[in-house]
Amino acid sequence: MIEVKNMTKKYGKFIAVDDISFKIEEGEIVGLLGPNGAGKSTTMNVITGFIEQTEGQVIINGFDMIKKPKKAKKEIGYMPEGVPLYYDLTVKEFVTYMAQIKKVNRKEIKEKVEKVLRETGLTDVQNKLTKNLSRGYKQRVSMAGALVSEPKILILDEPTVGLDPKQITEIRNLIKELGKNHTVIISSHILSEISQICNKVIIINKGKIVAIDTPQNLEEKVTNDNSIYITVEDPENKMEKIQEKLEGVKEIKLIAENEDKTKQYMIKSEEDKDLRKTIFEVFAKEEITIFEMKKADSTLEDAFMKLIEEGGEK
Amino acid sequence: MWAVVKKEFKSYFLSPIGYVFIGLFLIMFSIFFYTDVFYYGSVKFEYIFYSGATILTFIVPVLTMRTFAEERKSGTEQLLMTSPLSITGIVFAKFIAATLIVVITEICTFMYYAILCHYGKPEIETALATLLGFLLLAMSYISFGMLASSITENQIIAGVITIGFFIITWFMPNFNSALTNFSLINIFSKFPNGQIDIADTVTFITFTLMCILLTIIVMQRRKSAK
Repeated sequence: MIEVKNMTKKYGKFIAVDDISFKIEEGEIVGLLGPNGAGKSTTMNVITGFIEQTEGQVIINGFDMIKKPKKAKKEIGYMPEGVPLYYDLTVKEFVTYMAQIKKVNRKEIKEKVEKVLRETGLTDVQNKLTKNLSRGYKQRVSMAGALVSEPKILILDEPTVGLDPKQITEIRNLIKELGKNHTVIISSHILSEISQICNKVIIINKGKIVAIDTPQNLEEKVTNDNSIYITVEDPENKMEKIQEKLEGVKEIKLIAENEDKTKQYMIKSEEDKDLRKTIFEVFAKEEITIFEMKKADSTLEDAFMKLIEEGGEK
Repeated sequence: MWAVVKKEFKSYFLSPIGYVFIGLFLIMFSIFFYTDVFYYGSVKFEYIFYSGATILTFIVPVLTMRTFAEERKSGTEQLLMTSPLSITGIVFAKFIAATLIVVITEICTFMYYAILCHYGKPEIETALATLLGFLLLAMSYISFGMLASSITENQIIAGVITIGFFIITWFMPNFNSALTNFSLINIFSKFPNGQIDIADTVTFITFTLMCILLTIIVMQRRKSAK
């Protein structure tokens, strides 16, 4: 459905996206994840044909974006970042205009506009100027504009930014609903959003793909290495030699020294083994006082942070 | 493409710009009608346009400065450029919409012609030649204004570049008589004599097409440089 082959985008000497390749199949909901400035928007802008890549190829449903832009662009409904709208038009006029420039058959425009206004819950405000709408409604208008031509692919750049929790849930449900008969790409830096909606995640950092996998697999990857966070009071610095006395420990790392003279460590075990009991017993023998001990919860958040950090070290 | 023409044309009247343009134009034309024609008891319709052409210098930028700059600033450019429309189509659509506004003003100026008909017999041929020349001049100005708008996201800068360029070309013949033919206003000033010179017409059309082509190139280049 969407194929990106060895795509590179340079701005002068700065490389925004560096030789990335991925494939998205029909019906998938894909999350594009990465910290600010990672190249998410650049990637989306290239896929939608707003900008041209420096090298590589983008193929949309069999049409090359550079060689056959008209056909390729027709397949895509795009909701850009920041929700740009024509503020001097009413909701209905805006959606109609979007249908016209997307080359919807003239006879079907009226019917399709009415349908999409209904689906996005905009029928009541259709005659209001878009500039007078609240942020949540603006988002829906933008979404209606992307949907009106009934494209097979939907690309949404940060669709929930600036919304209140209720609106976020609404938009999320709408996206889930749309995912049933569209291929969807969403960019976001909100991880919970991605893990709830998407069935595939592409993590980008510094212009490179760090990981492509399902949210579940990504979470599992980090679950395997058992990390324990522990805060101790250790005036005699016994922690330095504690590793010899603990079996199955791979690494002990000092994370922070707190103001109350306690220290926080991260203890990584070698295999899939819960060390908490051993640690408690050994530390008691060594007279190191434990203030706090917790097993690291592995979430998509951790996977994300870990992958980003690893990517950064390379 | 026609959808864009329609929307752009409508936008001129949804914001005050269209009304300001036409209103200001007619106020100034009425003044010129009195000072240049009526005052002398003449029935020469075309005389209004000598001064009218200078007004064009200052108000065409009002019409063109927002064309691309505003879309870029508000981000709606992304909607337009990711639609299946070609860049050429978009640029021409915006050009046609602005030109239509000028055509409307020209149609309004027929009321002066009607008034003159009451008092005498103004020459229709000369009047039409003048209107044609005026339209060609306006088209050249619009195309340059659009080019200026395509290179910046600041409307004011686009407007100032446009006015600056017009004023420079206007006064060019004062520096060196060899530059006479570079002054668009100078070229226009032959039309109210009733002559439609092929060379002059071609100059206007070439200038217009050149600016449109440059605008297309700017938009295309921005796509790969952006």
